[in-house]
Amino acid sequence: MSPRIPGAPRTLRSSLPASGVPALPARLPHEACGELEGFDPAWSRLVTVETFDGPRTFHVLDTGPALAEAGLTPTGTILALHGNPTWSYLWRHLAQAAVEQAEADPEAAGARRIWRVIAPDQLDMGFSERLPHARAPRPADPGVRRIADRIADFDALVTTLLAEGAATASGAPASAGDGGSAASGTVSGSAAGDTAASGSTTGSTACEHPVVTIGHDWGGVLSLTWAARNQERVSAAVSLNTAVHQPEGAQLPAPLAAALAGPLLPASTVHTDLFLRTTLSLAKDALSEEAVAGFRAPYRTAAERGGIGGFVADIPATDAHPSHSELQQLGEDIAGFRRPALLVWGPKDPVFLERYLRDLRTRLPQADLHRFETASHLVSEQVDVAGLVLDWLEEQFPAAAAAAAPAPAYAVPASPEASTRTDHIHGPEAARTYVETASGGAESRTDRIRESGALEGGAASAQPLIFDALEERAHDRSLASVDMSQSPPATLTWAQVNARVQAIAAGLVRMGLRPGDRVSMLVPPGNDLTAGLYGVLRAGGVAVVADAGLGPAGMTRAVRSADPQWIIGERPGLTLARLAGWPGRRLSVSALSRAERKALGVEASLEELIDAPEATLPQRLPRPAPEADAAILFTSGSTGPAKGVRYTHERLSALTQALTRVLDVRPGSSLVAGFPPFALLGPGIGAISTTPDMAVTKPRTLTASALADAVEAGGATMVFASPAAYRNVVATAHELTLAQSTACARVRMVLSAGAPVPLELMNSLASVFPNARIHTPYGMTEGLILTDIERTEVARAQAESEQAVRGPEADARTEADELAEAAGSSAADAAVANASAVANAPALGSAARTHVSRDLGVCVGRPVDGVRLALAPIDADGRPADLLLEGEEARGVLGEFIASGAHLKAGYDRLWSTDRAAARDTLDGLLWHRTNDIGHIDAAGRVWLEGRVQHVITTPEGPLGPGGPEAVVDALPHVRRSAAVGVGPAGTQALVMVVEPEPPAAKRLPAHGPAPLGLASAAREAVRAATGRDVAAVLVTSAFPTDIRHNSKIDRSRLARWAAEVLAGGRIRRP
Amino acid sequence: MHVLVTGASGLLGSQTARALLEAGHTVTTLQRRPSGVAGARDVRGSVTDPEAVARAVAGTEAVIHIAAKVSVSGDAADFERINVEGTRALLTAARAAGTRRWVHISSPSVAHAGSSLTGDGARPADPERARGDYARTKAAGELLALAADAEAQAAGEDFRALALRPHLMWGPGDTQLTERIIDRARAGRLPFIGSGAALVDTLFSANAVEAIVAALPALERVHGESLVLTNGQPRMIGELLSRLALAGGAAPPSLHVPVAAGLAAGTVVESAWERLPESVREKGDGEPPLTRFLAEQLSTAHWFDQRRTREVLRWSPRVSIEEGLALTAAHYGGRTV
Repeated sequence: MSPRIPGAPRTLRSSLPASGVPALPARLPHEACGELEGFDPAWSRLVTVETFDGPRTFHVLDTGPALAEAGLTPTGTILALHGNPTWSYLWRHLAQAAVEQAEADPEAAGARRIWRVIAPDQLDMGFSERLPHARAPRPADPGVRRIADRIADFDALVTTLLAEGAATASGAPASAGDGGSAASGTVSGSAAGDTAASGSTTGSTACEHPVVTIGHDWGGVLSLTWAARNQERVSAAVSLNTAVHQPEGAQLPAPLAAALAGPLLPASTVHTDLFLRTTLSLAKDALSEEAVAGFRAPYRTAAERGGIGGFVADIPATDAHPSHSELQQLGEDIAGFRRPALLVWGPKDPVFLERYLRDLRTRLPQADLHRFETASHLVSEQVDVAGLVLDWLEEQFPAAAAAAAPAPAYAVPASPEASTRTDHIHGPEAARTYVETASGGAESRTDRIRESGALEGGAASAQPLIFDALEERAHDRSLASVDMSQSPPATLTWAQVNARVQAIAAGLVRMGLRPGDRVSMLVPPGNDLTAGLYGVLRAGGVAVVADAGLGPAGMTRAVRSADPQWIIGERPGLTLARLAGWPGRRLSVSALSRAERKALGVEASLEELIDAPEATLPQRLPRPAPEADAAILFTSGSTGPAKGVRYTHERLSALTQALTRVLDVRPGSSLVAGFPPFALLGPGIGAISTTPDMAVTKPRTLTASALADAVEAGGATMVFASPAAYRNVVATAHELTLAQSTACARVRMVLSAGAPVPLELMNSLASVFPNARIHTPYGMTEGLILTDIERTEVARAQAESEQAVRGPEADARTEADELAEAAGSSAADAAVANASAVANAPALGSAARTHVSRDLGVCVGRPVDGVRLALAPIDADGRPADLLLEGEEARGVLGEFIASGAHLKAGYDRLWSTDRAAARDTLDGLLWHRTNDIGHIDAAGRVWLEGRVQHVITTPEGPLGPGGPEAVVDALPHVRRSAAVGVGPAGTQALVMVVEPEPPAAKRLPAHGPAPLGLASAAREAVRAATGRDVAAVLVTSAFPTDIRHNSKIDRSRLARWAAEVLAGGRIRRP
Repeated sequence: MHVLVTGASGLLGSQTARALLEAGHTVTTLQRRPSGVAGARDVRGSVTDPEAVARAVAGTEAVIHIAAKVSVSGDAADFERINVEGTRALLTAARAAGTRRWVHISSPSVAHAGSSLTGDGARPADPERARGDYARTKAAGELLALAADAEAQAAGEDFRALALRPHLMWGPGDTQLTERIIDRARAGRLPFIGSGAALVDTLFSANAVEAIVAALPALERVHGESLVLTNGQPRMIGELLSRLALAGGAAPPSLHVPVAAGLAAGTVVESAWERLPESVREKGDGEPPLTRFLAEQLSTAHWFDQRRTREVLRWSPRVSIEEGLALTAAHYGGRTV
């Protein structure tokens, strides 16, 4: 850890006695320090075992005795090992979660395994025995516990405890004991006084239940090593941030190198608690004062910190270091681990950097990975790692299997599956393919690995892949692609496009690109991107497409998470890659000068690959497998860090087929590609693509003239763009010349994607493109087309909604009257008696059936051919149910939309937990995607969107999507747009409307704060009439926060926080 | 059922008594001035007068205890005598007379110390932390009623109590809040403290009456509980004051006082008020123009979770805030917007 993190707290200094660091006996934490927050004294015990240098006593967190006390027999064991400078306190959340899981009703649905957690404090660490040191330890000092010693210690200890667990499992529960102090050769604890033979030999330890390891920091590498060397005993391994091995030639992270350099080491680790405090400061936002005290408890004096110094001193910074060869060996051993593995990573760690994760993934290619983008070194203190680990373990070792098969095959040395991939396991990046289950679609969650090398397979090659359309047109000299961003516009024929794609693919392979290698594409849409992208796909690479709209920080985070081996970029992208230190070998698009190459770290250019003499030779590149990854796209990042979304080759192909089926984009069609995801697909369909002249990150820069010129240049009859772009097209339509207007009149289809389009905008577009059908499909990065609707249908749906007579008003009134009568009351005031009770319609209960006959929100039409859409009802607290409704059952219910189809995402990238949550539905054995979008389905089967799951407003009358109230308030005079947000606790929130006024009206209003009475009355009455809900407050703000990618998605979460602050009575700031 | 309503000279008490009569109950009223409720047996006297109390509870089956000293200023001993000792005497007398049901009208201020409340439930009354003599003594009184309930259950006695805490009640004819706001707005003395955007729950008076009446049958199902009573329609304090001013025929307030200044002024006024001559104090409505408590009430959020209240009472407010404002405007000849 770094001793130089800015803002690290003040250090404690305490001097060492002249004799150095003394030996200290092991202690029980609650006896030495009193109770520590979150750490149950019943988990603490002292265990003495024989080690290479004699008997040693360890403090161990062990939930075994507590489970026995509760009459529970473990059906699995988790062996957890902390790093430096923590102790088993690090695993208190895991212990607590495992105990709670164990205590759940075993008969209940979803009952899980009973996991015993065993987490020793390493020797010289935590509350385990302290070794004597002649001075604060330095690298070569004798008496420093070496890596190899620590692995041996762990082995001796867990061997003893696992044997005891086996005894427990066979019907000898630990009995409550005396809890006395430890003596050599005995095991004692606070809750269990059972004994174990000191230094028991490894014998019949093949346990009847899974044994898994988990580690963090140096405990990660040590536990992985032990797991790899004991595969006959270990069923799976988990590691949080750790580093297995220093790659040859790579420098130690600067902070660590500084810590190791001579005189600083004892000062930072032993004499002061700087190292400890700095480590804890990395999670300071997440750690309570009590938790900080818990971590510090065993390290309060210099005499207690010898182990911290010893641990750091044992990091082999040079190959002369005593532990250097052991570190080399364990790196190789870990690569031989054949069991399921899970890596949980906090990327903000300043020491355990991305490169260590990359190294780990090459050693453990089977590992599932979840990155918590916002987390740092102490990842398990910042996010719920315990829950994730238990979820993952349940998936690997279902409780049902424990009940059905008491002696599972976990102890069998090696499964046939594992042995088949032995050859590939040491490869730098074994390509992963995912085996689909027989039921079709649903991915095997264990990510079983199939052969990785042979991409050319029998059945596989029969499936059309996205680049086939280009190869079929290898001799076609007609127009394929027009790039209006070049001056003059650059045109390519199909033959040229194909030649470039083949040359780039061959060149990349020549340079060493291997199937499954990831290639970050930092090229703006146009001919170069088309050639580069299809070239990468043809070569078997995986295109990582991080939209520049994410901004430099967002792109950096996205690219880091995808961890590409290659980067292809233009100067701006390469400069960013250089400055932000992105990984990967770099290629430019055009040839660069030698100086520029050097400055940007560029090896070659696409131009050179295309012009290379070898490029003219016939190439026979293997075809990627249909199940192999083809592309990583990113979500908008409007709800947290952008998520990587995986598309396989077959899913990309399915997407092109969906475009043909739904929108009639087919070979020979000509389209203007102004919306990136769709823009990339045209060449794969055999459709002529024209890229309009616009700044890709600023869709609002597309003018009507530029669009008309693109239509003319490509002879296009279809236009694809985003609503933000179309707004500007409409605004600049008066600049069109007669010729340009004529070109626009040839367009048959206008497609708006990326966000909903208001009918008014569609109508305005219809006057620019008088002969076009105007489509707006609904989709997201994870499923680009789920539903579709055409302008005339939007108008019909809207008219039907406006004509609908509100029915429930009368019902609400009757119910209120009945209640009044039941209460034994009549009207207290004659004038009051006539008042309606609509504003207080009785609570709807937990069912979310909407009480209005009027359909509100954004109508996005019906599911397209190839998509199955289901609905998960929202409960009173705003959570979507696990139950999926379809057909008639789903009508009129507020719910989350869940979709399935061949052209949807294969999964999220390196987000194991997110992926699992989004794809948790198993209806009909399909792979479903939780869209996080909420709304309802009307009587005619049309889908109405009403917002996002996290934007549900949970009023006492039931959950409400923001879309309904917004639709009616948006329609009021002087309102540019509105946002409905909930304020207050879930289940009893107040509904608040935030309005962005039209500019002329805005001038008369305060910039931010309460709306004037007239606007408040109008908005409140409109919402009451349409939804029956009460609006507590109407606020105005002159500028809504929106996401930077589309500039159209309102950041409602931020507005909700702002509204809550304003309505608490605080100072009014801008949102 | 024969019901005693205390404090029936006020708006809430008199309307409750009338509603009970209309529903066919027998009603006795107890207060110092004549109740003016036709058809009720009127006992005149204070809850601190044992003789009047004994006469009032005779023959009743239920008590709705509304009488209290309600003010933001005044002599601490008066609050104690009426709100604590008066409640204690009435409870004792009622139980001795065989009265079995008790609806205790309390205040949300018994449970909080002036901090912001957003969607909170009814927390336990706490005289230690309550702010000011009124809240402190009302808290003690509520605890007495609930203790009597618990004590009766333990002793096998059929006596049950439920505490209702109406929050900021207003409506036509309400002198406590509505007319003070209107009067001050007319005099140009109604300030906004801070932004005026703090979200505050209020209760239209007619709804309060119905909720109290609903508490009698509710006592057969639930007792020993406290429930905050509001319209369940929180509004920004500035908006509500503006609309009440308009309903009263006055202009909406335009005077803005920063929160810190409001709190400071409130503290100063509070401490100085009692030392002012009677003649000065009796000008206006006899209340200090601003207290620290009031300044806090006007500048921080105070709104509540009404789900438990509605579930227990099987009641929901029949008159919405907007309808209530229309009725208030009709009463005072004002406007709604």
